[in-house]
Amino acid sequence: MSFDWPTLLPLIFAGLMGFAILIYVILDGFDLGIGILFAAAEGTEQDTMIAAIGPFWDANETWLVLAVGLLLVAFPLAHGTILTALYIPVFVLLVGLILRGVAFDFRAKVPAGRKHRWNRIFFLGSIIASLAQGYMLGVYVLGLDVGPGGMAFGALVALCLAAAYAAMGAAWVIYKTEGDLQKKAVLWLRTTLVLTALGMVAVSLATPFASARIFDKWFVWPAMLYLSPLPILSAVLFLWLWRQTFHLPKPGDRHALLPFLTLAAIFTLGFAGLAWSFYPFVVPDRLTIWQAASAPESLAVILVGTAVVLPIIIFYSFFAYRVFAGKATDLTYD
Amino acid sequence: MDPLILSRIQFGANISFHILFPAITIALGWVLLFFKLRYNATGDSAWMRAYFTWVKVFALSFAMGVVSGVTMSFQFGTNWPGYMETVGNIAGPLLAYEILTAFFLEAAFLGIMLFGFRRVSNRVHTLATVLVAGGTTLSAFWIIALNSWMQTPAGFEMRDGVAHATDWWAVVFNPSMPYRLVHMLLASGLTVSFLIAGLSALRYLYGDRSESMWKALRTGVFTAAILIPIQIFAGDQHGLNTLEHQPQKIAAMEANWNTGPNVPLVLFALPDEAASENRFELTIPDGASLILRHSAGGVVPGLNDYAGNHPPVFPVFWGFRIMVGTGLLMLAVSWSAAFFLKRRHSLPKPLALVMVPMALSGWLATLAGWYTTEIGRQPWLVTGVLRTADAVGPVAGSHVALSLAVYLILYVLLLVAYLSVLVHLALKAAKDGDTSPLPGVMNRPLSQPVAQPGETS
Repeated sequence: MSFDWPTLLPLIFAGLMGFAILIYVILDGFDLGIGILFAAAEGTEQDTMIAAIGPFWDANETWLVLAVGLLLVAFPLAHGTILTALYIPVFVLLVGLILRGVAFDFRAKVPAGRKHRWNRIFFLGSIIASLAQGYMLGVYVLGLDVGPGGMAFGALVALCLAAAYAAMGAAWVIYKTEGDLQKKAVLWLRTTLVLTALGMVAVSLATPFASARIFDKWFVWPAMLYLSPLPILSAVLFLWLWRQTFHLPKPGDRHALLPFLTLAAIFTLGFAGLAWSFYPFVVPDRLTIWQAASAPESLAVILVGTAVVLPIIIFYSFFAYRVFAGKATDLTYD
Repeated sequence: MDPLILSRIQFGANISFHILFPAITIALGWVLLFFKLRYNATGDSAWMRAYFTWVKVFALSFAMGVVSGVTMSFQFGTNWPGYMETVGNIAGPLLAYEILTAFFLEAAFLGIMLFGFRRVSNRVHTLATVLVAGGTTLSAFWIIALNSWMQTPAGFEMRDGVAHATDWWAVVFNPSMPYRLVHMLLASGLTVSFLIAGLSALRYLYGDRSESMWKALRTGVFTAAILIPIQIFAGDQHGLNTLEHQPQKIAAMEANWNTGPNVPLVLFALPDEAASENRFELTIPDGASLILRHSAGGVVPGLNDYAGNHPPVFPVFWGFRIMVGTGLLMLAVSWSAAFFLKRRHSLPKPLALVMVPMALSGWLATLAGWYTTEIGRQPWLVTGVLRTADAVGPVAGSHVALSLAVYLILYVLLLVAYLSVLVHLALKAAKDGDTSPLPGVMNRPLSQPVAQPGETS
């Protein structure tokens, strides 16, 4: 591999896109998770849970727009291939995201009697979007194959991703709330953690068997050695977090953010494993990132802007999180 | 079922639904900033009350705009893969810059603007309002640049059937871009001013005489009265620009079949494309020549010069007339309301009754205008570069039909819910009047009173 711009640019953009997807999954993961947990929460708890994500969710969803935008912009061929193959799941995802997004605002503004209806829509939108994303991940892992077996596997991953999001949501609730709701969230976390672990094992097992290429990539010496920290570290983090759920919340609310950070680390490890397996393909076994990439001059134009703007975005996102740091209180406009 | 026509209807429905909300948020951000700055300058809490009423409308409209916008960014891939494959090198960077410079800015500071009043200093809160308003406008800038490039492409060359940019300045500031941007920003200003005026008129009819109602009402009416003549001028200039670069669109807008001088202005007609003529025509002699060429002998392009290469006449002709008609109605209503507010310091009830439905006149004119210009671009997706029929993806018609049906149902329900919330918020504000506790104190963010129950979000 030579290191000239036409080689490097698609690689950089694949990295950026991966980064955007990972940030999206972590950030909107807890928003969607809280939506899923809505089903298990009561009226006033729901208000507190919304207050824990209200100022952030918009910006969180923007990472999805960036990820799809980068796919669209940097890999137009892959964008078309992936999204036409996943037409129905993408459509279901969008309906979920629409319902979730508008329910957020409607529930706070409709007459009191109708609030209940929008709470239910908020839950439905969140669970639909999560399931659709999981299904898409499952089908993508299998190389966009949609036979009955592929659909069944997609359904399994869908359930597990929804559980993983719910775990993220629970971890965020632990961080942002106190008292009974916080205790409840610890129980939610423990339950959903099991399903999350199951999902990660399922995807990890299915990935090499879905593709001979990935099988060869994983089970050769010494690649196996380099890869082994990923599953081992993930397993250790899972077990440690599982044990933690028996000790949380701690006196003085110490380590309230730790469950969330641990889950984010697990997501990152899983994501790294997927990235390693699929590289250099953007459409599994069909299109590499170089085959699907836009013209280098267009990528260069975007890269200049990205290099300047992305650090600024990250900076002011941190600022926004700091403004609303601490335990969630009632959100008010005035 | 034909995936092409279904995909077109779906994208049309989606973008029509979407534009309703940016049309509000682009200008409402600046109106909110105006309220905020007036409050900062005068310390009059009625301004801040107007702010808090309308910031809720902003939040809701913003959410509706975001979710429908996300849907569109996916539809490029699900339904129109040929679009990005052919012009992705141009469209890609423009969309990327929109997301990076505008979308993130709005989304990140929206939280502070909406919920941060008691968490940050008044100065930071004002700054957040500026950044959100600036973000929405910047967003419009990039999207209009892309849309205008599709209408009047420039600064590129074709290599192996794929467009490559040669001059980014020419791509962004393509021939129709400045006109379209001004036209759209003014359209947003008018949409918002009529919405504010209309909902304030509703409060007025329900007996609300509070200071915050008057302030919002005056802001809406006077802004509308100032903007509408500017918009009529800008629209005329935009039309002349279209005549230069897309004559076939002008021919369809005027339902003029034969190129020549002394072309009449058609006020009413049922254009018949099969026979290449207008039925039930009502015309003003030499009118179109006078408007477009400023002389009775001016030559106006005709549709017959563009056989098989011009847009469908009926929707373009009528879309244009609905837009212009609504614009003239806006002129009449805003100027009479401004007269009464300025000279008589009152609002006659019949006029208030007219202003309530006129709250949505901006939406009607904006949609009619966009239909005119977008259908007017057909049969091209990118004028002279890519035909719409060549960009559609290999998706089964039944799949598109299913998604289209669900989107339509969803959009209708959401629109009903949205409008009823607007009315609910207006009536609630009318009932509360100015009796609710005073909102915050300047620069003492943490000493402000806690809001009333039921205001949580």
